[in-house]
This record gives sequence, C-alpha cells and structure tokens, in this order.
Amino acid sequence: MLIVARKNLFSERTRLAISVGGIALAVFLIGVLLSLYRGWENKVGGFVEDSNVDVWIANEGAKDFLAAASLLPYDPSLGVDPCQQQIQAALQDPNRRSQAQKFPVQDIRECRPLIVRQMEGLKVEIQSGGEEKILKKMNLQFVGYDAGTQLGGPLRIVEGSTDAPKDNEVVVDEALGKRYGVQVGDTLKAGGRDWNVIAKSGGGDFVAAQTVFVSLDAAADALGFNDAKKTTFYVIRLKDGIDAKAFADGVDIPGVHALDRSAFASNTKDRILSNVLPILAVVLLLAFIVGLSVAGLTIYTATVEKSREYGILKAVGFRNSYLYRAVLEQSIVTGFLGFVIGIGLMLIIGPFAADVVPQFVIFTRWQDVLAVAGATLVMAGVAAYIPVRRLASIDPVAVFKA
Amino acid sequence: MTQNGRVILGMQGVTKIYGSGDAATRALDNINFDARAGEVVVIMGPSGAGKTTFLTIAGALLRPTSGTVTVSGLNITEMGEKNLPEVRRDRIGFIFQSFNLLDSLTSLENVTLVMTPDRSRGKAGVNRARELLDMLGLSHRVKSLPKNLSGGEKQRVAIGRALANNPDLILADEPTANLDSKRGREVMLLLRQIAYEMDKSVVIVSHDHRIREVASRIVWLEDGTFRSDVETARDPVCNRVIEVVGAPQTEHIGVLFYFCGEQCQRIFAENPTKFAEAG
Repeated sequence: MLIVARKNLFSERTRLAISVGGIALAVFLIGVLLSLYRGWENKVGGFVEDSNVDVWIANEGAKDFLAAASLLPYDPSLGVDPCQQQIQAALQDPNRRSQAQKFPVQDIRECRPLIVRQMEGLKVEIQSGGEEKILKKMNLQFVGYDAGTQLGGPLRIVEGSTDAPKDNEVVVDEALGKRYGVQVGDTLKAGGRDWNVIAKSGGGDFVAAQTVFVSLDAAADALGFNDAKKTTFYVIRLKDGIDAKAFADGVDIPGVHALDRSAFASNTKDRILSNVLPILAVVLLLAFIVGLSVAGLTIYTATVEKSREYGILKAVGFRNSYLYRAVLEQSIVTGFLGFVIGIGLMLIIGPFAADVVPQFVIFTRWQDVLAVAGATLVMAGVAAYIPVRRLASIDPVAVFKA
Repeated sequence: MTQNGRVILGMQGVTKIYGSGDAATRALDNINFDARAGEVVVIMGPSGAGKTTFLTIAGALLRPTSGTVTVSGLNITEMGEKNLPEVRRDRIGFIFQSFNLLDSLTSLENVTLVMTPDRSRGKAGVNRARELLDMLGLSHRVKSLPKNLSGGEKQRVAIGRALANNPDLILADEPTANLDSKRGREVMLLLRQIAYEMDKSVVIVSHDHRIREVASRIVWLEDGTFRSDVETARDPVCNRVIEVVGAPQTEHIGVLFYFCGEQCQRIFAENPTKFAEAG
C-alpha cells in the first residue's frame, strides 16, 4: 500500500470510522437480505425438494405446493390407489378418457391423493370450567397424507411418536413449536376439529406457514373432501430408473398438470419469493446506494481536504496515476474493513435475530459472501472514481502560492 | 569566489503570455538565462514581475509560449506532458515558501516518499534519507511529524526532500519568507553550502534582501524582463557580498577572489591560505 494512502487513511480516524461504518452497514444489510432470501428459498422449497414424491399431479394452473386452487376428482370408494382407476374413472368425459391414455401408469410404483390446504390453526387450553381459551393463532399448511406409503408426509420425526397420525392426531413441524410454543401433547384446533399433537417433524417450515400432518381420511373428513370426491394433488413415486421429468412431460390430460419434483419445488419457491424479490432488490439497491454514498462522500471530502498535498505531489513529480492509486487504495482498504465488519456483524447478529424472530430465517452461502465482497469492491471502486476529476484538475502551480 | 560550472538551467528567448487578445498578459518577455552548477542565483523583483512564472517554467510545471528551456542539457520544452513529472522528480528539487510537507508523514517519510524507485529500493532509500536529515542537523527529528517541527526544521526537511533524488537543479521559492531572521540565515547558508559543496545549481526567487548574502548572482526581474544580472561574490576578508564587476581581484591556486576594496585585498595577500580556506 502506498504510504500516502495509508497515512491519509489512518491519520483521520473519525472520518475512517464513518466511512467504514457506512460500508459496514451496507454490507450488513446486503448480507442479511441475501441470507434471508436464501433462508426463505431453502425453507419454502425445502419440503418439496426433500420429499419422497417424484411427480406431482395438480389442476392446470396450480403448479406449486402452496396452490390451494388445485382440486382433482377423487372417489374414496374406488380405493386408495387411484392412478389407473381414480384418474381415469374420474375423468368421465370421453375426450378426456381418450387423452388419459397418455398417462403412463406402467412407470408408476405408487400413487396416492394428497390433501393440502392453508388454514388458520389455534392453540387452545381447556380451562377448569371446560371452556377453551385461545392461546395462539397460527398459519398452517394442513396436509392429509396416506400413512401406508408416506407419500407427501413428514420428512423426518424429530420428537414424539414415529407412528403415522390416526384420527384426531397431528404431527406438527418443529418450527411451529419454536414459534408458537406448540408441544407434543398440546391440542390444536384446525378445520373445525381438535387435533392432538403426537409428534414434531422437521423440514416443513414455509416461513409464512408451517406444515401439520394428519391422516388422509381425517383431512378429507375435516375438510369435506369425501363428500365432494376431491383431492388437492396426486403424488407419485416412480419405478426405479424412470426419469421424472420425462414422465411428467409425457402426461397429457386436459385440465391436469404434471410436474416433476424440482419443477414443483421451484414453482413453490417462486410463489413466495417472486413477491419478495422486487422488494428485496429495492432494499438491496438502497443499501448499496447508502454504502456508496457514505464511502463516496468521505473519500471525496478527504481528497478535497488533501488537494493541496496532492498538488505538492504533482509538483515534485508524481503522476496523476499515482494519485489515483493513492485514492483507490484508501477506498479499497475502507471497503475491505467495512466488508469484514459488516459480514462479522451479520454472522454474529443473524443467529440472535433468528432466535428472537422465527421468520428471520437466514442461510449464508459462500457464493453470496463472495457476491457481497464484489458489491463492496464496486462500491470502493466507484467511490474512488468520484474524486478522479478533482485530482486531475489540481494545478501543481498552486502550491507555489503561500 | 566564483564558479564556472556547466549550465544546469538554460532559458533562451522564453516568453510566456497568459490569456489572449486584449486580455493577454506578457508575464515573461523573451528572456535568456543560465544557471550553472555550483552557483546560487537569486531572482528578485517586485510583485507581478514574473518571478513565479519564471520558477514554474524552470520547474517544468508550466510551458512557455515560446522559447527553449533546458534542464541538465535536456530540452524540456520539446518533451511531452507525460514525461515532465519524471523530469521534475529526477532532475529538479523544489523548496517552497510554506514548506509544503505532507502533514501525515514524518520527516523521514517526507524525504523517502519522493525518491525514485531505484533510489528507494530496500533500505537504501531510508538510509539516504537518514543521511540527508543528519547532514541537515535533523537526525533527532526523523520521526517527527511536520506539526511538531519549527519553521526552520520544516524548511530543512523540505531541503532534504529536494535533495532526495540528487538533482542538479534546486528551485527555491521564497525559502526564508516564513522564517525568522536566524532560521532564515541558517537556511540561506545551507542553500549556499548545497550549491558549493554538492555542485548544485540553486535558483532562488525571493523578496528577501538578506538572501543577497549567499548569492553568486542576483538577477532583477521586472515586467517580465531581466533589468540586470549582477554577479556577486563574498569578500573572503570582511565577508561582505560584493558585485564582481569592477571589484579588485586576486587569483590564488586557480580561484579568483574578489574584494570590497584594496585594503581587504592587501590583507588577503598577506595570508591567502588562511582566507581562502575560510572563504
């Protein structure tokens, strides 16, 4: 580092602190927002990505797990294995029937209905007089799944019974427990029924709502799906060696949509994140502008303040390129210090914040840290570029004036 | 005593005009000037005479409108703009009225900073800077910041910086203006010493008449032209600065000595070795 850059930078401690602080704040904000985005992305798409379902069948237009609009025909009287019988029998239209020939059932190992509905849940406490007291309200991603195949069921049990839930039993996501204090043995009210919490599962946190798992029959009964002969999705596990995407692409039933796991997960992420992303982008831009402004202003004022000294250097034979380098080095070191402090703050404060606010789900990837480093470098570069014209216009002759 | 060294700074027919048309101002008007190694040339004149213009042109900071300027034989008026910083750094040392040290750098750093890469490589630069500061009586001030130095000390650090790259030409702009008489005299003597002992050409622009004391020549600049170019010398007996032209002179071991009058010349003749050494 040039001695002029080093001395100028560290001789003005207050200015350095302001400059580093501004960049650190920007880095912190950018880092946190990126980590928050990644955290949400992980959470929101994680359940589908990690599930044992290869292909999801939904109504056309309903392309993700959070889509409550999907309603497919399902007649429980025809048995729980619906692939051949249910889908084809339900699609009574002769045209549909002929189209349904393009449903390659021979590649399917298992196929089951899956009922999914977003709803409000209540944590209640029975008072001594027998009255219920509402302790908490929560958003639930209510899932009714087939216990036999476990298709679309809990990813893993982290606490409580490993048995599949029976009537009036529910397995809740651990995030629900963390956020609302729901414990094994508690009672939840949802869909007009009381559910006894028998276990906690992991991996079903959608940030805005958490999954609760009940049996397929109980869900259909609670939501009136049996009477309506409907289900939300059909979930399919394919035979070994069958390509899920090719299978999904091969399904051609009018009004029905088939998506492989990764596409379905991606759509699920998009539903949440596509709304968040523009807001996030604006805040990221603002954070970048804040960092750039603070760094730019402090570097510029430092340059203006030292313009006589830069004039002296020009007079005694230093080129403009030396002066540019001196300013750039000051800017880069400021940026580096701001980056280290900002990232450090993020790594320290992030977990604390996540404990206090459960929705504050952060996941830091090294690629994102690298991206923040890149943004900081751009900040430092642009901040150094601002005083370039000023440096170029310094007249060394002026130093002869006392 | 006079020096007849090689020409370090040469100006031939140099004119500098600021502005154009009716607003044109002729700051220097067809001047010819030489400064040789081993001599101290003092340029004096009233405000607005063109002294700073002269200095900045000599220092490769400003281009003349016409004419030729050479520094150590190098025609700098023919050089491109991008090559001039190198000339300033390698061949010219600058001393300013207000010292112009970098506030955040120590004395040692102020001197080493300007050294060319070949001079500052490794510890060579630091060693040379230490030697220079030692020579200037500042060995105890090497780690001091300018704010902790007296005016005289600051100017001596500035002189050290000017000498850092061992240039042939030292340009000094009012070097004693911000110093009291004692410190000013110290600096003047130092500049003379540099010229004589280090064989530099020292060109001083000054209003300070006391500086005539160290001058080999005094040049009077007025309205952009030289009105007189007076070669001076110091009488080795009475120590007065005198004009060479018309003064009694004596040659001793190949060097010409000038005297204010015949009496001093006689005293010198009685013991020339004693006065020659003192001079």
